[in-house]
Amino acid sequence: MGMNWLAHLAARAEVPVFLAEGEAAPAEYAHLLARMPALRMVDTPRAAAILLVVGTVPKALLPQLHRLHDQLPHPRATILWQSRNDLSGAKRIDSAEDIGTAIKTLHSDLLAGNVESEPDILPDAPPNEWRGVGPHGQGGKGMMGGTPYGRPMAMTAADLRDGLELDTYTADFGPFLPMFPPGLVLKLTLQGDVIQTVAVTHPPFETTEDRGWVLLDLLGLPALAQRKLRGDATGKGSFDRLARLTAARAAIPDGLGRTHDGSDVRARFDHLMSRRDSALNLHLHHTGLDDLLVGLEWHEAMLVLNSFDTASLRTICGNTPEPETDDDADGEDDKKEGGMDHGAHAGHM
Amino acid sequence: MTDIAFYTLSALAIWSGWRVFRVDSMIRATFALMVSFISVAGIALLMSADYIGVATVFMMAVEMMVMALFMVMFMMNPAGLNPMQMVHQYRFSIGAGIVAFIGLSVAVLATNLPHNPLPAGRDTMRDLGIELLGASMLIFETAGVTLLATMLGAVALSSRNGRFGNSEEGALPPGLHPGGTPAGRKVEKGGGHGGHGGHGGHGGHGGHGDHGMKESDKAGDKGDTDAGHMHHHAPAPDEDHQHTPKKEH
Amino acid sequence: MSFPVAFLIMLVFLLFGIALAAILDGVIYRRIAGRPGIPVLMPFYRAAAHLSRQRIETEAPDRLNWFLAIGGYIAVGAVGLAVVPLGPESAVIGIKTSVVLWGACEALVVVLVFLHGWSPNSPLALIGAYRYVAIGLPIMLLSMFVLIAAALPAQSLDLREIVISQEDIWNVIRQPLGLPLFLLLGLSLTLRGPFDYADSTDLAGGTAAEDSGAYRAGWQVARLTMLVGFSAVAATAFLGGYLGPVLPGPVWLALKTLVVMVLVIGLSHLLARMPVARMLGLIWKVLLPIAFVDLLLAGLVALA
Repeated sequence: MGMNWLAHLAARAEVPVFLAEGEAAPAEYAHLLARMPALRMVDTPRAAAILLVVGTVPKALLPQLHRLHDQLPHPRATILWQSRNDLSGAKRIDSAEDIGTAIKTLHSDLLAGNVESEPDILPDAPPNEWRGVGPHGQGGKGMMGGTPYGRPMAMTAADLRDGLELDTYTADFGPFLPMFPPGLVLKLTLQGDVIQTVAVTHPPFETTEDRGWVLLDLLGLPALAQRKLRGDATGKGSFDRLARLTAARAAIPDGLGRTHDGSDVRARFDHLMSRRDSALNLHLHHTGLDDLLVGLEWHEAMLVLNSFDTASLRTICGNTPEPETDDDADGEDDKKEGGMDHGAHAGHM
Repeated sequence: MTDIAFYTLSALAIWSGWRVFRVDSMIRATFALMVSFISVAGIALLMSADYIGVATVFMMAVEMMVMALFMVMFMMNPAGLNPMQMVHQYRFSIGAGIVAFIGLSVAVLATNLPHNPLPAGRDTMRDLGIELLGASMLIFETAGVTLLATMLGAVALSSRNGRFGNSEEGALPPGLHPGGTPAGRKVEKGGGHGGHGGHGGHGGHGGHGDHGMKESDKAGDKGDTDAGHMHHHAPAPDEDHQHTPKKEH
Repeated sequence: MSFPVAFLIMLVFLLFGIALAAILDGVIYRRIAGRPGIPVLMPFYRAAAHLSRQRIETEAPDRLNWFLAIGGYIAVGAVGLAVVPLGPESAVIGIKTSVVLWGACEALVVVLVFLHGWSPNSPLALIGAYRYVAIGLPIMLLSMFVLIAAALPAQSLDLREIVISQEDIWNVIRQPLGLPLFLLLGLSLTLRGPFDYADSTDLAGGTAAEDSGAYRAGWQVARLTMLVGFSAVAATAFLGGYLGPVLPGPVWLALKTLVVMVLVIGLSHLLARMPVARMLGLIWKVLLPIAFVDLLLAGLVALA
């Protein structure tokens, strides 16, 4: 009875939806979804009730999609919107008009128990077996060591900013992270929040979606980002006034993410905010992601990634060289052992 | 009432102090220590030392936070993913522990502790202020100025425009005699650095410390072949990078 | 006012404050987003939705600290509210060092937010935790200077005395630099807008990225509790607290708290967040010197 009462209240909330974008997504889908009052796009699958797959996720990224699916808390359900993917139990919708009501109905049904919550696709088990030794599982003889769950202890490496020794952490990020352009998977080595190496595992999908609203969101202005995404209901003048008031432009460091032709994130931000249709003519023949991202901290890196249109970003990804293989054997070991596991553990979306 | 509070806080202080050595994560150890200190701060409050008691909570929270951050950041295990043995050098630490315990117990038992309860409503904070800026001013100010000088020194050494020039251009200390080779320690090249994943047992703390020292020297050593540029596989630092991308074209 | 009465009033104050803060946040968000409607009940529906979902555990989390981080954050916010006097000589926690106690709460917030990001054992949450510490510590120094300046005219570290010292003129007028600087601290303590380095979008929710179900609801409530606690302290230290004509003291306190709350929420939606390195530069090179000036002026006035 108590549960019914709670479910009744919960069903009146905006439905928290996590978006997983695939290839050939319906045009303007973000704009359409933002205009549906009963939905709320959330940043993390942990906060979502419905997984909405928009377009078709290519085969190479299906393992990540399955992992993403399993990260949603129960009760959960999946909707495929104009998608040729196949997920057991998922509901297919093709027309844009039906999507709002379909999600809303599905959410109420889930809460009322009329629809079963979708079970895990993957087995809920660690990617590697436990190989820790010792009273604390620390392994080895000293304070640490061993490879519990196939994960070697992180060790320090020189930092490229000031030569301080910090631990490195390598993992794949993407392809469904909300602050990444859809489809992009990067193998990043981080020290704290500073990016040390970049390699492209999967380039972003081809879309014509405007990422201007994402930049606003990344600058800590979700409400203004919504206003931009929802479009011209209130007129451009008031948006510009608000955008100026927030000092969003000044918050972007000068010269951040400068390409060879001299345009930086600020210039590209101006272009995205001005809503001119002409594409900014970028010359990116030599610019790779490593030029742009290495040495930046996470927030700056996200601003840089989202300041490009998808076509430019794909060119940049194409210019990014494969990372040099580490010469010492330890590095190899790290990659073999860690790679698998990190993929799983940080296949965080 | 006060007695109950005293015994509870004491028990908490001792228990969390013991946990520091029993847990398998640096973060838990650090914050267990914080809980221990905060319990002692509670006891100070019971002794009507309200300023010292509350200030201890404040200081310990900040201090332990900084400690945890630096330990985790500089030592190892950034995500705390792997468990760690937090105790090492058993024999030495057991010996040191016993000596310290006996020493402190003797000190406590042998001292003639004052027993003059404060009158209720006495403004201890005012007393403390008068003491710090009156009779004990020299000690207080000496400690203060020393700490300030240390802080300034630390900032000067760690800043980008360090003592020997811009650190990004491979700052080098001057030679001991005019035109001589730069002062400071030298490091043999190769081996050692890079991803050290995977192998078990680092031979305890000593081995690790060694390693750390060797690496930290690299900063000073940088540029002895071509001053002005970072060399070997370290790519250019971010600032350089944004203005003059390193690829040739 | 006896202790039980003060306690009861503060409890009601807290619960209403949390609800009101959640509603205000929704209203201001919608105004800026250009969406119609005033979602009065939406925060409650949303909380119910969180509670009706499963709480997921990550791989090898620090369960104890995860729980303690959320519970502790709520407790620390509530302590902040408890040191605020409702009238002369009536605060739930009436000690002579209440300003220092609030300072300790600020310091503990940094610890608790860090633990919240640490516990889930997840990279994005951990980055949020580290980043927050880098910003949270210097911004706390700033608040110390500003609060000591506010305590100088009262010649006491007791918030009750600080209110009494504002009978002629409020601190917000006497020390015009104080409240704006303190509001920035509020944004940082409640993880909002330009100072939200812990739970920000660029980290997919940062320290809260792995929270689901009841923990997610708990963390949002904790942030709102802190908002109420902070607003009440700011209203007391700078806007004269319970002082005011005609209406009873607690009502004045509630009104002033509301004003501070609206200011903080408005700022959080209207100020852009800069990358963390730039913000550190701003705090150390610009804001801290301004806080020094504030303290210096207050000291000179006290001497004169």
